[in-house]
Amino acid sequence: MRYLPHTEADRQAMLQDIGMSKMSDLFADIPSEFHTELGSLKLPDGLSEAGIVKKFTKAAEKNRHAGNTRCFLGGGTYYHFVPAVVDYIISRGEFLTAYTPYQPEIAQGTLQALFEYQTMIARLTGMEVSNASMYEAATATAEAALMARRVTRKTRTVIAGSVNPRYRAVTENYLSRLEGDFVEVGMGKFGTDLSKVIAEIDDKTACVIVQYPDFYGSVYDLKPLREACNAHKCLMVVAFSDVSAFGLIESPGAYGADIVVGSGQALGIPMAYGGPHLGVFACKKKYLRQMPGRVCGLTTDADGKRGFVLTLSTREQHIRREKATSNICTNQGLMCTAAATYMTLMGDAGLATIAQHSAAALDLLVSKLPSHVVAASGAHYNETVLTFESADKRDAFIAEARKQDIFAGIPLEKFEKDIEAKHLLVATTEMIEEDDVNALIAAMEVAS
Amino acid sequence: MSENKYSATSGIQQEEPLLFEHAHEAPESINLPGVKGEVSSDLAAFKRKTPANIPGLSEPETVRHFVRLSQWNHGIETGFYPLGSCTMKYNPRVNEQIARLPGLAHVHPDQPEDSVQGMLGLLSELQGWLAEIAGFSDVTLQPAAGAHGELAGLMMIRKCLDARGEQNRKKVLVPDSAHGTNPASAALCGMYTVELKSGADGRIDLEELKKHLDGDVAALMMTNPNTAGTFETDIKEICQLVHDAGGLVYGDGANLNALVGVARPGDMGLDCLHINVHKTFSTPHGGGGPGAGPVAVNDTLKPFMPVPRIVENDGVFSIETEDEQSIGTILSTLGQSGVYMRANAYISAFGNNHIHQIAQDAVLNANYVLSKLKSVYHVPFEGLCKHECLLTDEWQNKHGVKTLDIAKRLIDLGFHPMTVYFPLIVHGAMLIEPTETESRETLDSFCDAMLEIAAQCEAGDTQALHDAPLKPIRRRLDETQAARKPVLVWEG
Repeated sequence: MRYLPHTEADRQAMLQDIGMSKMSDLFADIPSEFHTELGSLKLPDGLSEAGIVKKFTKAAEKNRHAGNTRCFLGGGTYYHFVPAVVDYIISRGEFLTAYTPYQPEIAQGTLQALFEYQTMIARLTGMEVSNASMYEAATATAEAALMARRVTRKTRTVIAGSVNPRYRAVTENYLSRLEGDFVEVGMGKFGTDLSKVIAEIDDKTACVIVQYPDFYGSVYDLKPLREACNAHKCLMVVAFSDVSAFGLIESPGAYGADIVVGSGQALGIPMAYGGPHLGVFACKKKYLRQMPGRVCGLTTDADGKRGFVLTLSTREQHIRREKATSNICTNQGLMCTAAATYMTLMGDAGLATIAQHSAAALDLLVSKLPSHVVAASGAHYNETVLTFESADKRDAFIAEARKQDIFAGIPLEKFEKDIEAKHLLVATTEMIEEDDVNALIAAMEVAS
Repeated sequence: MSENKYSATSGIQQEEPLLFEHAHEAPESINLPGVKGEVSSDLAAFKRKTPANIPGLSEPETVRHFVRLSQWNHGIETGFYPLGSCTMKYNPRVNEQIARLPGLAHVHPDQPEDSVQGMLGLLSELQGWLAEIAGFSDVTLQPAAGAHGELAGLMMIRKCLDARGEQNRKKVLVPDSAHGTNPASAALCGMYTVELKSGADGRIDLEELKKHLDGDVAALMMTNPNTAGTFETDIKEICQLVHDAGGLVYGDGANLNALVGVARPGDMGLDCLHINVHKTFSTPHGGGGPGAGPVAVNDTLKPFMPVPRIVENDGVFSIETEDEQSIGTILSTLGQSGVYMRANAYISAFGNNHIHQIAQDAVLNANYVLSKLKSVYHVPFEGLCKHECLLTDEWQNKHGVKTLDIAKRLIDLGFHPMTVYFPLIVHGAMLIEPTETESRETLDSFCDAMLEIAAQCEAGDTQALHDAPLKPIRRRLDETQAARKPVLVWEG
């Protein structure tokens, strides 16, 4: 077996060295009734490396993907461009095959990359501090709700119905075994009506969670929410599903958010059928000690040179055990390195270009819609809801688009099960060209 | 004492400033074929007033910056990495290659099912294989890491007990040798933990266990082999006792590497087990993730598994998103599919004819190291170990040398240290897990280093140990200072 260095002679010699004669002696402490007969598992026999490549190539060819279609799918995952340099850097064995940096002297590479990541995420979201990642956006949202309970010592959570339904579901699930109310505020439209959210905030509220741009891609003024949170001493939590937005639009931090959470997948991380992605978590500095997850901090070494370590570990499970701020241990470290590399390559100018292209593609799409398809009104970043005359007409369009190898969007009822099946969530990125938009519109016209 | 028999040298390592300290910005930003044009006036009203202040470097500078950083890291590909309970085995390169195939890497999670049959097939196949290897009836792929798997498992246990009308059961028994995530996960699930004191042999003490088994018990969370690296020989009785008391048994699968292909936790009476594929099944740990923590369940817990789930019907795969008995959803997607591609490839490479060699060589290597070191390092629990061996610094303490010094000295000799000060049940723990992918030559070299360190202690020649490490780009770092005045972002 090519991954195992021992020859049979090595094994025999080593067994002899430890006073044993056969491999099974090593497992003498396991009651014999639990010994599996070797080679009796229902698995196929091992494949050669060439066999593995063949197997996965064949399976991959059965899938359609964003690279050989025109992809207008969003809903929390977006087809952004991944520069070759990002993949190269995270493929380097020193980053790829290291563990969590428990021995900082020989993990300064990971640690400095994390520090740079934290700095850039804080700047992009307009916040004071960032942690070193959560799993993804939904669990990050749930962790924000839990953190707000610790900070405020209150237990009521208010969440806008325009937050990605999956973030809502996971957050509700995380909170469901703990005391306290979980209030979802129905919006009644494809956008965010802050007045409805604000009406639900009371003095028992630990936090209010909104999404910006919201699940439907709508961008709106968060200022009134900050005032309402101040009035009731609750935390303002802002979620997002495509961090690329903040290359263009005002950051949640600029509106005074207390905690900002969301998906950093846009920062050089492939969609990979749902993960590994990147959960972003940033907050105000005064709440630092209630923050979940790992965090990297600056310090000095024995010679007085600048260096980095994982810090504030007294918040964490390996020290605090059942009183920890979170149970998280392994997070998405390599995705932070990817995001740091991506942001370094882009800089402000590149991030702004990506966001402008993403938004301009949506504008172009909306401007070309035939009269029987209506887009949600108001300011949108790179995602919106299209409404068709009927479910049949929408489905005819989706089918026609598929024939042209276009993934036209996500039927909204996939996220919101009670909704009439005539809506479609469509998203654009810098990967969408004018030609793609034209093809989508053409399919719409054919199907109408 | 010659050091050149070890791989570490004091070769050139380049200093590299923070990217914010580089003098200039890149001359031009990225050029894209996308849709050009100004954004709509609706959106323009929300434009950022000030840029984020992300500097941006040219492509050659970016590459050099991050390559230099990478060279400050020790990875499995750099050298031996015997971090106990972390299973730092070789991460096959072909797994990286196949995970990057466009048909796997650029698949959107909400594509129609008929367009992702290849992906669903690979995930479903892995689910079946993990269930088979661990000895359970089914597996959920949704948990994103081990601790997330613990949460999922405890949620299922909670739901199962609730379905039995036993909402009152909230006590979770956790051995004092357990990973810190166990009690933290229980707390997140609205349960409370009671710590079980380990017996004199480091194992669960049946009498101690019995004392805590009453009508409040929801579950026992156990790791087997435990974190002292020894097998819980009373496993059958333990599961029986907990079940008789009306509780369920949760398995922390961090140490599954000791059993792969040789014995199956599901056969021993556990109700569920999370599997760290970034340990046992070789997916790279990436300097702190991504991992994945699929949970294998028996028939008792199967009805409560999270959604979404993959279902197969006549060779056609679909995704089930609703089920009344399910604990619901705990992630925005089906799971960390990209990680699972690599795990599938790893199991594919071994197959039924070789998979037991994972546990065999892993356990052989750990016992080999133990046998070489036990005469000079204190072994708190005598006997066979499984995939890792536990030593302490007790004999070195009398020379003023602690576990931390030994660990830092190993760095100067070219090795990543073992896990230190864990488990908490012994003083000055050193937990060594070599894994199956290390050669005898490497193990011998590491043992020589450990023997040399012990000899230096005996000889009173300990300055190099206290001063270590001297060779990496940084020496010992001041963790107290970092925590007292936290600087988490660059403000320069």
